[in-house]
Amino acid sequence: MHIDLKKEIKESNSGRIGIAVLLLVIVLAMLAPAIGRFDPIQQSAATLLSPSQNHWLGTNHVGQDIFSQLLYGARTSLLVGFGVGILGLLFSILFGVSAALIGGVFDGVVMRIVDAFLIIPTVIVVILVAAYVKPSLLLLILLLSVLSWPGGARVIRAQTLSLRGSGHISAARTFGAGQLYIAWRHILPDLMPILLVEFIYGVRRAVFMEAGLAFLGIGDPMAVSWGTMMHDALHFSYLDVWRWWLVPAGVALSLTIIGLTFLSHAAEVVLDPRLRGGAVA
Amino acid sequence: MLEIKNLRVSYGNDIILDGIDLNLSRGETLAIIGESGTGKTTLGMSIMRLTGDGVQGSINFAGEELLTLSEEEMRKIRWNRIAMVFQNVDNVLNPVHTVLEQVAEPMVEHRLRSKDKARERARHLLAKVGLPSGRLSAYPHQLSGGEQQRVLLAMALATDPELLILDEPLSSLDVAARSELADLLRKDNVQRARLLVTHDLDTAAKLADRIAVLYGGKIVEIGGTDDVLQRPRHPFTRALIRAYPNMTTVKDLQGIKGRMTRPVSGCPFHPRCTQVIDICREKPPELVWNQGRAIACHRGGIATILSVKNLSKSFGRLKAVDSVNLHIDAGETLALVGQSGSGKTTLAKTIIGLHQPSGGEVFFDGTQVVNRDKGFYRKVQMIFQNPGESLSHRLSVLEAVMEPLEVQGVGTKEERREKAIEVIGEVELPQTEDFIHKYPHHLSGGEMQRVAIARALVLDPVLLIADEPTAFLDASIEAKILKLLLNLQEHRGLSMLYITHNIAVARKVSDRIAVMLNGRIIEEGPTNQIIAAPKQAYTRSLLDAASSLHRFETRGIK
Repeated sequence: MHIDLKKEIKESNSGRIGIAVLLLVIVLAMLAPAIGRFDPIQQSAATLLSPSQNHWLGTNHVGQDIFSQLLYGARTSLLVGFGVGILGLLFSILFGVSAALIGGVFDGVVMRIVDAFLIIPTVIVVILVAAYVKPSLLLLILLLSVLSWPGGARVIRAQTLSLRGSGHISAARTFGAGQLYIAWRHILPDLMPILLVEFIYGVRRAVFMEAGLAFLGIGDPMAVSWGTMMHDALHFSYLDVWRWWLVPAGVALSLTIIGLTFLSHAAEVVLDPRLRGGAVA
Repeated sequence: MLEIKNLRVSYGNDIILDGIDLNLSRGETLAIIGESGTGKTTLGMSIMRLTGDGVQGSINFAGEELLTLSEEEMRKIRWNRIAMVFQNVDNVLNPVHTVLEQVAEPMVEHRLRSKDKARERARHLLAKVGLPSGRLSAYPHQLSGGEQQRVLLAMALATDPELLILDEPLSSLDVAARSELADLLRKDNVQRARLLVTHDLDTAAKLADRIAVLYGGKIVEIGGTDDVLQRPRHPFTRALIRAYPNMTTVKDLQGIKGRMTRPVSGCPFHPRCTQVIDICREKPPELVWNQGRAIACHRGGIATILSVKNLSKSFGRLKAVDSVNLHIDAGETLALVGQSGSGKTTLAKTIIGLHQPSGGEVFFDGTQVVNRDKGFYRKVQMIFQNPGESLSHRLSVLEAVMEPLEVQGVGTKEERREKAIEVIGEVELPQTEDFIHKYPHHLSGGEMQRVAIARALVLDPVLLIADEPTAFLDASIEAKILKLLLNLQEHRGLSMLYITHNIAVARKVSDRIAVMLNGRIIEEGPTNQIIAAPKQAYTRSLLDAASSLHRFETRGIK
């Protein structure tokens, strides 16, 4: 099986849509200081202004520019999303691959830990811990990563187990290769498609979790976040402001998550040819 | 009766024979075998004192030291008590005398008989060697090569010599004449000692009691005929037998790598030997006697590369491999034959360390293998059944072949690349940039398996374990891969454990066969014996089921 991952994803419709949406969000986030004319935290004008030439989406209850908040909120979402995606995946790889390759007692212990983590409802734990610690962004990333690796680790372990006995890995062993070499040169490259899917899952979940926590008001109150925006906007739902305060934040969050979903769908299709429509070229 | 001690013969600066020790008793036939140019003929000629100067040592014939006799005394012995049949018939017979006269001549010369009696005996001898009576008065050029050879033999027998030296006596004859004359020689005077010089193993097998193998002017092996031919212990003797077309061995013919070169320091065979160690290059080995058999080899003859003792591997309650004993010699192919599920692959994987053994020991080159470290894998490599699986789809041809070198940390990147390309050529794949950057899915099955073979060879292993390497290939490609493996064995002296369910393939590639059933080895022996006379019913059924081009009804085996 030889898959050109990049090519396949680029050629699927959902893949293209997903990439386009994500790229848009990323570009806007990166260009936030250039596009947004106001500091998202500083009070820039009177409170609760309607949209105008200066403030495209008006201002919020403390006079911050909502459009700037929207742009900077994308940064928070993406930072947490990709941070947790990468860190969680690293944990998953570390435990999944090593459990499969080392086996024996080590495998047993790791898998029981995974089971334990999977039984605990992550959302509740995060809410409890976050409510108690009031985590900064970095701490939030760590917390979400620690709670998100077990699912991925289980998938990666299963896949590694099936790879472990495959011909080219047996062959590499007969050249005298050690576990590290085999993991690095053979297992990881072979796992790439699965790692990609796991990564996108992880990002999506983290984006959602961050927004959710902020919405519940448990996140870092100083952070600019779509969740916080929605949280604050809800308090003024009796005014007209929801139109340019609540809705844009909700739309931005939905778009980001939809983009990630499309992308992960495309990646899954690549992985499982049975999901492909029509004849395989 | 004939005792040769430390005989050295040289022509100018070229040493032809170097320290030959030989004994020949009355009534015995000793064959000297070897390639052309090893000094076989010179040995015969030096006994006749026909080699000129440069002969040292001692040749004692019936109590007389031939080398110190005067030419006058020697002449009394030559053609009288010692006679020789020359190899090159054209130059020996005198073109102006009839054959009858020529056969009678030595008897007259040595005043053994009157002219008439001599002619009568000559007529008798010529009839005995099978020359048609109408050709007695023919001149040599009117005879065929075979007839000339018969005349020469009659000439040599004319004086009823005590020692008869036969230099390639049957080589110029066709098969029918050959066995006729061989019969004649066998029935000849039992008191006579015969020294048979030949490169033809068949002649030696038919006529000789003992065989001495000559290489580079030295004797490398001596022993009883059957012993030497069936269980050769010197690498050269085995190579000679492998190269010889005959009806006994069934393995495909293999040549001997390289050519004989002289002079060589150390063991004369070391440049072509495939189990060389350092001392072979430095010191010539002594001929060591052991129970009627002598061998000159620093390694004591063909070395045992792998031996497996009581090796077992269980999966739960299933005994996949059950107390298996086997050994593989240097440069030898052992075929492991059995149906699928008999434990062949498990045995191979346990030997190479992909499975942990449940019990038993593995010895490699005399040392027990406990931990299979990188050093072990430099010496032992494996070719897997399915090249499509054993090659990673992500690695190009070059990357795949370089991988073992990288794992082992051999050389610089440039050296690894060079070595890999060299081996790619050795397995007869193109060495072009275009090809070496192809990926497995661009290759045919045969090409893929060649890449896998190159990858297994790139570390220059001593032992190659081939697990049904042709199972996924069609017959014509299979044949090419098998030929390639045989050639590699010839050039590199690879020992091979060849696993197959097809005894017809085993027959072509192996020196010995081990038949495996339910995790046990039920029969083991030289391939020709297993094929011709299997002892176990199961082996017979494997043979029955093996590929054949005969219709089912006409198959001989019941």
